[in-house]
Amino acid sequence: MEEQNRQIGDVLLAVEDISLSFGAVRAISDVSFNIKKGEIRAIIGPNGAGKTSMLNCINGFYHPQQGTISYKGITRNQMKPYEAAAQGIGRTFQNVALFKGMSTLDNIMTGRNLKMKSSLLSSVIWWGAAQKEELEHRRFVEDIIDFLEIEAIRKTPVGRLPYGLQKRVELGRALAAEPELLLLDEPMAGMNLEEKEDMCRFILDVNDEFGTTICLIEHDMGVVMDISDRVMVLDYGGKIADGTPEEVRADQNVIDAYLGGGH
Amino acid sequence: MEDLWFELLFFLEVLFSGLLTGSLYSLVALGFVLIFKASGVFNFAQGAMMLFAALSLVGFQEMLGVHWTVAFLLAFAVMIVLAWCVEKFVLGKLVNQEPIILFMATIGITFFLDGFGQTVWGSDIKVLDIGLPTGSFDMGGIFIDKLELVAGATAAGLVFVLAVFFNKTKIGRALRAVADDHQAAMSVGISLRYIWIVVWSVAGLVGLVAGIMWGSKLGVQFSLSLIALKALPVLMLGGFTSIPGAIIGGLIIGSGEKLAEIYIGPFVGGAIENWFAYMLALVFLLFRPQGLFGEKIIERV
Repeated sequence: MEEQNRQIGDVLLAVEDISLSFGAVRAISDVSFNIKKGEIRAIIGPNGAGKTSMLNCINGFYHPQQGTISYKGITRNQMKPYEAAAQGIGRTFQNVALFKGMSTLDNIMTGRNLKMKSSLLSSVIWWGAAQKEELEHRRFVEDIIDFLEIEAIRKTPVGRLPYGLQKRVELGRALAAEPELLLLDEPMAGMNLEEKEDMCRFILDVNDEFGTTICLIEHDMGVVMDISDRVMVLDYGGKIADGTPEEVRADQNVIDAYLGGGH
Repeated sequence: MEDLWFELLFFLEVLFSGLLTGSLYSLVALGFVLIFKASGVFNFAQGAMMLFAALSLVGFQEMLGVHWTVAFLLAFAVMIVLAWCVEKFVLGKLVNQEPIILFMATIGITFFLDGFGQTVWGSDIKVLDIGLPTGSFDMGGIFIDKLELVAGATAAGLVFVLAVFFNKTKIGRALRAVADDHQAAMSVGISLRYIWIVVWSVAGLVGLVAGIMWGSKLGVQFSLSLIALKALPVLMLGGFTSIPGAIIGGLIIGSGEKLAEIYIGPFVGGAIENWFAYMLALVFLLFRPQGLFGEKIIERV
């Protein structure tokens, strides 16, 4: 759709044959797929297909029992979520996970956490320098606020905001870390049509303007097919299809499992 | 007329003394609030930490014969090591466990600290003397205890520094983030481990300061860790998650129990100072269980 001059590059993240189980429950079995630099990659599937588990594996909340995940060519093991964040993997959550008592601005500022250099000790000793740094980051955060068009709620505690706006603030917090790979867990769930369109526009803009690679999970098939470059379909923890939206749409397995009965 | 004037002065003197004692309760309560906010753990060991910190300070002073400031820094270093150990060997192993399990773990830490402190530093009552003024002075007819005044001023200073630290710095924001949502905090690159160590260290520092004040007043002894119990009604009054709540709660409890002792005590046979705080807390539990400034209904503890 928006194929102007977007560059889709090499493989950024490669998942090889991973399996994840919780006791006797198999959440993911033998799934391989990759995410290329600069693309919008979607993971779809019915409820309980293992989509969120997959994101949790990628950013280190879960550790698959089998298989490997390599990011930028480096295979890792037992990575912690904050290490994933330090390497440029940002994310949002299915049920908005904001810091409810803090303002929009402060929430997004936490996203700058890793970019701020001053340590605990130095911020105590060189108070001025730490404050100066704070101001620089504040400027960056204001840009994100402008970009997401949430100027009006800058100082509002996010717990008071409507759901659609909370999702937007959460996107802002993830963007503040300047991620290379952004994982979005159902960014449009529970939104009305207008909010969905806004969110779509933001996702495309982020991808286009910042060159951020995006991996998203979504239920709304229409949205997914419209904005994604490639789509992977999971069902009962296994991969049943992977390809361009057109290929996936035509795949008989997908039609049976997802688009067909039951949906 | 003369009588009324005297009564008023006496009332003020009692009130003042109560407020200053209250600021000491606040200091202890503050340690609880810090840890509860950041990790959702009710740290039963706060009293033991206070005792251990004070013991270490006195111990270093005696053993090395150094100035109290050096001993203070050494004791603070000990508390940082302790924070590291708690994270490494206790909390780190119990991530995602029920609050009650974490609470039980802190009871374990309490016993460990009590035993370890006495093994290393001995179980005698120690005199803590860092040159704080003693005695009292007369301010316009009101007698004020110098030590209590210093304690009150120190508590105020410490609270101010902590408030700036938590509201104006990156680490403070990270801490508030962790308090709100562990998962989300990790996803933006905040290391829980690091935050927990910082918080337990700060709680250790608060415990150290509280231990110095209480130790100067009562001597450093085992019963010091029982003062932590007085922090419970303070927390119920002020709310488990609120730093201002801990302060106001401490002041209310401190002045309340002194005034009650003087003015209500005679009618019920006296000695109500010991239980007044708990009764006040009970009333609060009945009518406002989240405390004055608490964020939500207390479900833990």
